[in-house]
Amino acid sequence: MTSATSAPVQEGTQQVCSLRLGETLFAVPIARVLEILGKPAIQPVPLAPDFVGGLVHYRGEVLTAISLRRLLGMEPTPSPGDVLVFESAQGPFGLVVDSVGEVLSVSAAEHEPNPSTLDSRWQALLAGAWKRADRLLVALDSERLEPHRLATSLADAGKGSLAGAGE
Amino acid sequence: MDDLTREFLLESQEGLDRMEQGLTELESRPCDAELLAGIFRSVHTIKGTTGFLGFPRLEALSHAGENLLGMLRDGRIAADAEVVSGLLALLDRLRGILRSIESSGGEGDAGLEDRVMIARLEALQRGGPASGPAAKAAAEGGGEAVAARVAAAADRPAVRAAAKSRPRRPRSAPRIAPLRNQCGAGEAGPQGNEAADRRAPEEAEPASGSAGAQSARSPRPEAQAEMPGAASPGAAAEPANADSTLRVAIELLNRIMNLVGELVLTRNQILQATGADAQFAPLGRRLDMVTADLREAVMRARMQPVGHVFSRFPRLVRDLSHSLGKPVRLELEGQETELDKSLLEAIRDPLTHAIRNAVDHGIESAAVRSAAGKPAEGLVRLRARHENSHVIVEVQDDGAGMNTERIRAKAIDRGLVPAARAAQMSEREVLQLVFLPGFSTADAVTSVSGRGVGMDVVRTNVERIGGKVEIDSHPGRGTTLRLRIPLTLAIIPALIVRVRGQKFAIPQPALIELVHLSAEEIGTRVEWLENAALYRLRGRLLPLLFLDRVLRQPAREAADCDIAILNADGRRFGLVVDEVADPEEIVVKPLGAVLREIGYYAGATILGNGEMALILHPGAIAQSAGVSLSEEGLEPEMDRAAMSGRDNFLLVETGSGQAAVPLETVVRIERIPRSRIERAGSRLVLRFNEELLPLDGAVEAAGDPEAQTTVIVCRDGSRQVGLVVTRVLDIAPGGALREAGSSAPSAGVALFRDRVTDIVQPALNAAAGSGDNCLRVFAEAQR
Repeated sequence: MTSATSAPVQEGTQQVCSLRLGETLFAVPIARVLEILGKPAIQPVPLAPDFVGGLVHYRGEVLTAISLRRLLGMEPTPSPGDVLVFESAQGPFGLVVDSVGEVLSVSAAEHEPNPSTLDSRWQALLAGAWKRADRLLVALDSERLEPHRLATSLADAGKGSLAGAGE
Repeated sequence: MDDLTREFLLESQEGLDRMEQGLTELESRPCDAELLAGIFRSVHTIKGTTGFLGFPRLEALSHAGENLLGMLRDGRIAADAEVVSGLLALLDRLRGILRSIESSGGEGDAGLEDRVMIARLEALQRGGPASGPAAKAAAEGGGEAVAARVAAAADRPAVRAAAKSRPRRPRSAPRIAPLRNQCGAGEAGPQGNEAADRRAPEEAEPASGSAGAQSARSPRPEAQAEMPGAASPGAAAEPANADSTLRVAIELLNRIMNLVGELVLTRNQILQATGADAQFAPLGRRLDMVTADLREAVMRARMQPVGHVFSRFPRLVRDLSHSLGKPVRLELEGQETELDKSLLEAIRDPLTHAIRNAVDHGIESAAVRSAAGKPAEGLVRLRARHENSHVIVEVQDDGAGMNTERIRAKAIDRGLVPAARAAQMSEREVLQLVFLPGFSTADAVTSVSGRGVGMDVVRTNVERIGGKVEIDSHPGRGTTLRLRIPLTLAIIPALIVRVRGQKFAIPQPALIELVHLSAEEIGTRVEWLENAALYRLRGRLLPLLFLDRVLRQPAREAADCDIAILNADGRRFGLVVDEVADPEEIVVKPLGAVLREIGYYAGATILGNGEMALILHPGAIAQSAGVSLSEEGLEPEMDRAAMSGRDNFLLVETGSGQAAVPLETVVRIERIPRSRIERAGSRLVLRFNEELLPLDGAVEAAGDPEAQTTVIVCRDGSRQVGLVVTRVLDIAPGGALREAGSSAPSAGVALFRDRVTDIVQPALNAAAGSGDNCLRVFAEAQR
């Protein structure tokens, strides 16, 4: 199994994988992505925390998949999504998004930190944005999306729904 | 820590395990030359390697041990209890040092204690018998003792220097002699001994005195002489196995297991995609067979003989027996029985507990035993054997047995059973009470009934791995504790159920029976007490839990449903589901921590068709819903155990005669149209539960393709096979068959109701290899 090597952070450009969620474009450093699963079957888990999209099957293992839509408090969509697989200290996990787009090069110069006006719960999830000529790419940090971290951080945040916090 | 040291630690630990086993056996067979030689080799190997790696404490200690063992081996002193105790103490010390090396990289510092230990071993050497070659023995023993003492007392750097020089020392005889002389009297003992052992016996004779002669008598000096020092000391002890076995990391095996799982899914997809293609169909089936065999082979790779766990018990019993002052003998049986490695680890503690209990509380004191007309020496038997897809491990003692009246009284006293109910319980039922949590915490029980300490812990541990525990006791004749362990943890039999279209798996061990309710019956048969639903099952009220409500699923319109009657850790309840699908052997996949915390799921699995299902944890569901522990829960379980399939056979009529299939191996009996049976090469196969089932039995090629045929689906180890029969006759108790049956299980033939009946034993063949064997047996049954 290959493990994600750390991406070159400050020097020049890095490759990111773009993801679409509704109208918003997000991006994660490609080096962090173990694999992309195209529209896999996602098994719902009754009684699971709200941010859990379900289980996905990945190379003989059953992974917990985080639903980015639920995490960001967006309406669920009936169409199946793509799943990105990330490595974490607790083993791999999945992230369900509407669809995975192309791989883009972004430069450090384009990166902006989160605006200070952003809701604190969003602050915790997002890692700034890349302002591209045509549109904004919201940066995601896979480490902040690890299931056990979300479980603790969201429990600390009073289990409040994130819905609408930043719309 | 470098690889060499790590390897050394592993192999030394194994060597010490072998030594421990040997030493405890030695007490019963003190003159067994082979046994002594084996123990000697273990110590010798450690000594040789430590010198190479530079561990002076280990070297000095093992050297002293080796000297003592050398004398034992040569019959110059007898292996009495004192000698064995001394060697066991040495063993513990060596283990301690190995632990220290493992944790800190160094041997630690305890020179004085080492010297005391070495002095003890020397004293034991002097205690030899004064007959026959006594004078020589005394002289040699004395000489060696001096040598050992000097070696131990020598400054550490000096010993290490000597040790370091060893690997570079030439191995041929003529050049060793001068080296010995240079080394001086102090180190001549250990080095000469060592050097001589590295030479072939014919060379040894002229070169050195006592040490050479001693090693020449060693049964396998050549094997040791060829050893390149530390590279593979384990091989010296077991030259026969060295080339045919290999150490493999468990992680790698798990990975292979996962890949095989992937392969199974890919296979299923291929079979579906190519089903219509006449060219691909045979290839697909071939792939299917190979995949099934591969899966089984990988599972077998994870198996280890239970002897690995058993080997520690002779020592345990010996120590307990000494400290309690009761003579107790431990008999082991079936050590070669294999079990999944993780399960082996899981039964270690329950077994230790059970054996401790048996010696401590089960076996009476020698005086009491003699008064009762029993041999003064108590006997504890530890037995393992295969039984279908389980391994049975029994701990049996010939002690006083359990006092059921006291258990009954205690259970009433503890409020575990109502007095009226307790009075009705059979002896057997009463015995099972000791497994109830809360029973054994009563400290008074220990002294009163003598048993039952921590039995609920034993039971919990065994049930956690899908096993079962039974207890059987006869006053004055002893107690038997029986652990029934599934062959493998990775794959468990489960019942797949559906709720709102989603599939869940219920582990089979918890399942007692299934009840179907039609939509109308739900209104009439389910009774309500406030919010609690109850179902009247054969006159008893059973709490009902609705899985959809437990999992907070949306309600649905009234429709048919099924109740799975479960017994989870003594909690008996009915779990209402929308529908029962098929039983399936599932591969357990762990869940992430966040989902594990929900508590209701024991894992997840990927079903044969690629769908995922969550594995339910019936115990947790019952507990959180407040289902109380029922003493009643124990009863049906025991009834089942009493009549469990081992003694029952399914009698069938095959094309050529009558055959009997052990009932426990029968998964289900299917009526299918003949057209569903396909031919793959020379084999008949049936698509069953999304898998291809190899079939045996005659099927008429001609005739109506829609005519119904009966297929008995049997479990064959981890896979299933089918037997085509013309009709199912009856269920017969095994007694009649067994008496007439031959002892060879695969070719068993018995007379039943005046007809020759073949006994088909698919599960026994699982141990021997692939399903082919099973088919062969079937084929024989047909002839």
